[in-house]
Amino acid sequence: MRTFRIGFLLGFRQIQRASIWTTTLIIFVMMLTFLNLIAVSGVLVGLIAGAEKAVRENTYGDLVISPHSEEDHILNTQTIVREISTYPEITTYSVRYNGTGELEANFKERRDLKGDADVTGVKVTGIDTQKEDTTTNLSDFIVEGEYLDPNEEGKILIGAYYLSQYAELYGDIFETVEDVHPGDTVRLTVGEISKEFTVKGIIQSKVDDTNLNTYIPEREFRRLFGRIDQNADVIAIKINNPADNIKIKESLLNSGLGDYAKIQTFEESTPKFLADIKKTFNLLGTFIGSIGLVVASITIFIIIFINALSRRRNIGILKGIGISERAIEIAYVLQATFYALAGSLLGALLTYGFLVPYFDANPIQFPFSDGILVADPIETLYKFGILFITTLIAGFLPAWLITRQNTLNSILGRK
Amino acid sequence: MEIIKAQDIYRTFVSGNITTHVLKGVSLDVQLGEFVAIMGKSGAGKSTFMYQLSILDHPTSGTIIINGTNTKELNEHEQTEFRLNTLGYIFQDYALVPDLSATENCMLPLLMKGEDWDKAKNKAVEMLTSVGLETRVDNLPSQLSGGEQQRVAIARALAGNPKIIFADEPTANLDTISGNAIIDLLGELNKKGQTIVMVTHEEEYTKYCNRIVRMEDGKIIKEEVLR
Ligand SMILES: Nc1ncnc2c1ncn2[C@@H]1O[C@H](COP(=O)(O)OP(=O)(O)O)[C@@H](O)[C@H]1O
Ligand SMILES: [Mg+2]
Repeated sequence: MRTFRIGFLLGFRQIQRASIWTTTLIIFVMMLTFLNLIAVSGVLVGLIAGAEKAVRENTYGDLVISPHSEEDHILNTQTIVREISTYPEITTYSVRYNGTGELEANFKERRDLKGDADVTGVKVTGIDTQKEDTTTNLSDFIVEGEYLDPNEEGKILIGAYYLSQYAELYGDIFETVEDVHPGDTVRLTVGEISKEFTVKGIIQSKVDDTNLNTYIPEREFRRLFGRIDQNADVIAIKINNPADNIKIKESLLNSGLGDYAKIQTFEESTPKFLADIKKTFNLLGTFIGSIGLVVASITIFIIIFINALSRRRNIGILKGIGISERAIEIAYVLQATFYALAGSLLGALLTYGFLVPYFDANPIQFPFSDGILVADPIETLYKFGILFITTLIAGFLPAWLITRQNTLNSILGRK
Repeated sequence: MEIIKAQDIYRTFVSGNITTHVLKGVSLDVQLGEFVAIMGKSGAGKSTFMYQLSILDHPTSGTIIINGTNTKELNEHEQTEFRLNTLGYIFQDYALVPDLSATENCMLPLLMKGEDWDKAKNKAVEMLTSVGLETRVDNLPSQLSGGEQQRVAIARALAGNPKIIFADEPTANLDTISGNAIIDLLGELNKKGQTIVMVTHEEEYTKYCNRIVRMEDGKIIKEEVLR
């Protein structure tokens, strides 16, 4: 107790009498360190969280039902649909049919029949237009034209990356058709059957599954693809409380639906690339954070070391008049703590007072994600704890090194 | 009663292949309440001897018994405790903590002894008053003159209520007037019973001393009992 009192007196007065510029600079450095620890990895993680959010909310849903690997389609789709519509926890769902076809554009204007047609291979998805929209807000991603009307026939939505004017940004990686706009007529060919559609709208989102897709109403899809059995390829399910998806999955499996199809939570169905990137970014974030932490400890170490070294004689005298080493160490640890606390506090203020709201309002526009700043308070607190403990050690170590030197040598300034 | 019994003290420094014999068999007894002056040319070993007596350094051989304690038997921690409770120091350059006010400097030994804050503060102010600094209690060392700083140092040494005060050339950095004032202060303290061991160059500063111990080349060559 008495050592603490003296330690606090010495440490507090040293902080008080230190030059305001030195103090400001040190606190500024600590603040940057804190930001480096929180914000940099927060942006990295936020990038992926944004991508994941987009995939979950705009494509996959909270639960995904897909065919067993040995089946072509989901079996007994109607039974499954009947069962899931009885769950009050399930907000809505979308039954989708997937196929591939060939999309041809500009065929009416074509004069030279010997030249290449303007054709690209496309994915075709048959949807219940209303259910799809309530499940994934597909209509929000119309960038040109309009969303499908359930009462219309012969209309198609085309993903932006099949169109040269959208895809050219990405160079030559996508196969495209030229100069197609809403109102134009395109021809969709599946095997032997061809059908002409009017382009109703063009869709673009952060999820490539949507950008590289075409959408037509399910009735027309079944006709075009000859799918009379009504067995679908994907059922995307949205749940009132998305975190409940594990529970609902269990319950669906218990009702025997697992026999007809594979039932996965979003987490299980996450595309591998996303899971991989997430892992990588988390690692990268941790790595950068660790470097930040090391830099912070070294900074604190050097500050306290120089501070204590320049007061070596003072420390010797204090020991000489009978002040315990512990009290002197506490004084320096207190200073380190002060710098860490002040820096972290400013950093936290900046993070939660400015950065998080700013990035929420103005997400960083990445091709695959609206990057937000993810700074989970618990995580932040945890990182702050690590920073704090590191600081204590980084402050204690130099103080300890110098206080344990021979008292007389310190007083006389000898080696 | 002897408060210090130093017997046959040798102090030899070895650095590389150079061996320096600084103290070559010094013995000195100091009685409780005595004011002893140690005099001698520069390089005679006075400071080195003071460091041995005040257990800031340890003799190569010989024993030092202070207040009945054989200092050789104290471990590092006990030495610090011993310096706090039994010894007081006055350094040539005052050695105050620059960040602490005069009062806070004097509070250090008191707080270390476990006094509570208010008591320590009252006692510190009382000590500063006794050395004539009642108007300077809140000043930082940098806001005080050399003479005033040395008074703070004396007040700090006294605050711990030590059995012995060691002063190594306490007036060396002061002008004659301030120096004399410090010596008067020490004389006064001695009159009240404080044991003091002081190193000084000036004959006139020994006016309150009971005894002068003269050193030369690591040995005591002469002792003069004044009163
Ligand atoms: N650590 C040391 N190593 C070698 N020589 C030393 C050391 N300390 C003191 N001396 C030598 O001992 C002699 C006495 O020093 P000191 O006790 O400071 O003398 P004084 O205080 O009487 O002037 C000097 O010649 C000094 O160089
Ligand atoms: Mg000397």
